[in-house]
Amino acid sequence: MSSAALQVDRHARDHRWERNTPVYGFPLVNGFFLVLLALVILAFVLTGYRELAGLGPVSGMNDAYGWGIWKTFNVMVLTALGSGAFAVGIAAWVFRRKRLHALMRMALLTSFLAYASGLMLLGIDAGRPWNFYWMVFPWNWNMHSPLAEVAICMSIYAMVPLALENIPPVLERLWYFDSRLRPGVEKIERKLYAGFPWIIAAAYLLPGMHQSSLGALMLLAGERVHPLWQTPWLPVLYLGAATFMSFGCVAGTTMLCCLMWKRNMDMDVLDDAARVTAYLIAGWLGLRLLDVLFRGALLTAFRFDRFAGVFWLETLLVAYGGWLLWVSLRDHSPRKMFVGYVLSSVGGMVYRFSPTTLAFRPNPEALYFPATIEILVSLGFISLGIVGFLIAVKRLAILPAPLHEWHNMANYFRFRRPYIRWTGYFKYGYFGEDESSEAAKS
Amino acid sequence: MAITRRELITGVAKVGVPAAVVGSIGAGALKSETIPVPSAAVGLLYDATKCIGCKACVAACAEANDTPPDTRGDSLHQAPSDLNDVTRNVIKLYKPENGSEFSFVKRQCMHCLDPACAAGCPFQALHKDPESGIVSWTAEKCIGCRYCTITCPYHIPRFQWVGFNPRVTKCELCQHRLAKGLKPGCTSVCPTGAVIFGPRPVLLLEAKRRIETSPGRYYQNRVYGEVDNGGTQSLYLSHVAFEKLGLPELGPESVPAKTLRWQKRFYQYFALPAVLYVGLVQVIRKGLRAHEQEAHEHEKETGLRAQL
Repeated sequence: MSSAALQVDRHARDHRWERNTPVYGFPLVNGFFLVLLALVILAFVLTGYRELAGLGPVSGMNDAYGWGIWKTFNVMVLTALGSGAFAVGIAAWVFRRKRLHALMRMALLTSFLAYASGLMLLGIDAGRPWNFYWMVFPWNWNMHSPLAEVAICMSIYAMVPLALENIPPVLERLWYFDSRLRPGVEKIERKLYAGFPWIIAAAYLLPGMHQSSLGALMLLAGERVHPLWQTPWLPVLYLGAATFMSFGCVAGTTMLCCLMWKRNMDMDVLDDAARVTAYLIAGWLGLRLLDVLFRGALLTAFRFDRFAGVFWLETLLVAYGGWLLWVSLRDHSPRKMFVGYVLSSVGGMVYRFSPTTLAFRPNPEALYFPATIEILVSLGFISLGIVGFLIAVKRLAILPAPLHEWHNMANYFRFRRPYIRWTGYFKYGYFGEDESSEAAKS
Repeated sequence: MAITRRELITGVAKVGVPAAVVGSIGAGALKSETIPVPSAAVGLLYDATKCIGCKACVAACAEANDTPPDTRGDSLHQAPSDLNDVTRNVIKLYKPENGSEFSFVKRQCMHCLDPACAAGCPFQALHKDPESGIVSWTAEKCIGCRYCTITCPYHIPRFQWVGFNPRVTKCELCQHRLAKGLKPGCTSVCPTGAVIFGPRPVLLLEAKRRIETSPGRYYQNRVYGEVDNGGTQSLYLSHVAFEKLGLPELGPESVPAKTLRWQKRFYQYFALPAVLYVGLVQVIRKGLRAHEQEAHEHEKETGLRAQL
């Protein structure tokens, strides 16, 4: 082999994401982190006030608009962004797009955080949350209610399969933390991995069910949802929007992290994700436009009113975002790719937000605009998710990186920060040892 | 290696064939489903041509249900502008600007034969009594999700926005009075007999008799609620269009039957999700084995512990 070929090969290898590595060398607590933390604490305090005063004094909700942004944005929109564990997972495990495994831990983490914060806010939004204990007895469920499906299915999903899928990075950290913990950790891992096919399958079935049921929620509202959005296909369209939005969230966040913490981007993986996203967007847009066309609602899109405006806004955002992703595959431009992810996800967010709020017309006089406290609580719970994310990527091996990044991290903690004991990695491990299970046996 | 075409086709066939079988059986079961009329369905008949708008029924309703008078309008008169958290029954006036015919309208729960509020209620807090057909609310089951305020096509259930222990307020046809052998509050005071109480078939006959005796008096010569939205137990007669009185034209099929058809089919006996789940486990098991193998090889190559 010529030396030139070797050179190219080595260069490619430098950028290939081969190992999830914690973000090191950046302090966890900085100004941004403190601002987020303040927002979280403020939201908790305001939540206490909400539980005493009721929903009216803290929110803009009223008889006509029974649902506010806590449900319609934090749950309906943000769990769509947090469907990465579902969409990326299915692409990687069921359709065996192997490269996407590099993004899997990011997908699982963002999903867990989005669902956890959404579910907390769902509990706060409920007027009589103490009655949630009814959920434990299945004979009390109304099996045909889309909302029962959402509430039950979402809680089970976030608490069981999604939580279990997120355990490996934690176990891995324990494994590295202290060599005395290793036999125990390996035992738990073996048990966990034995159950993984069942866990992962549940982690695909449940979100498929509740993300579509979120769309089915608004079916019962009938004609109060504008004809551009009200369609029997609403469950399918909601699920479809969740798939491309979550790809945008996972890949876009990973790209942002790479920029922020100066890491290499693996364009092979990102191209693969962008290609899948572009296909998903094309399919979704096709279904959306055909549905509008065949129901005869297309004419309402050419009236000069806010509904037509919202429709074109979301359609053009998603279409242009998808187009940018497609173009970025040709010229390998991370910039176009990132902008494409952002635009298509924002378009998807508007779509998921519309049937409940922007295109919901309970009566001509009705108005809804979130109150200050409502917005602050909503922001606080989003901040909670971001705080969780920052802690996780800086303390656990979540973000994908080239192999040399792992070795750099080992050197960093070994020689530059030997006094950081609580960081965990390499505390008692023998640096440079062969960690493979074969070496341990011999 | 991404999934091959052959695998995709066989995979779809493996999951799809049993799913199609289950689906077609479920579809058969669904077609035979009709809305059962409660055995002793009671209801109200409101005749807008007889109503003089005295609002005695509004006061009687508040008294019968022990709700405080709603004086939030001017801190003086009990004058609720619409149904709300203390108002289960309200009289409204439709009076067009152009001077054509005006009409009062009494709004309260329609007690639909297939109520959308109960279809959407996650834990059966809103429940239709199988005998009397009265749709009532149970505080101990309600989580306060307010889905009923979104789903009801007549916009009847109202949520209490203030306070730590909010309630959902709607007309329950004075169940407590019926148990004592009394009529609902509103019907017991109406001076002109504009609203009467009785078994639904009797009310329906009475309404049709009125239409027959004075043809042309009533809008479209029909009773609203006989078939509308799958049939309701509160029936309306009016001389102006029902839509003007806030009674939308929903067609003879009920809202839940129209919209949740596929939802019901998919979750019938939980059969389809179960088939999908088993199929997914098989596919993932195969992929997981290959993935573990690869991770193991990578571990040997790099000397670093495999990350799954």
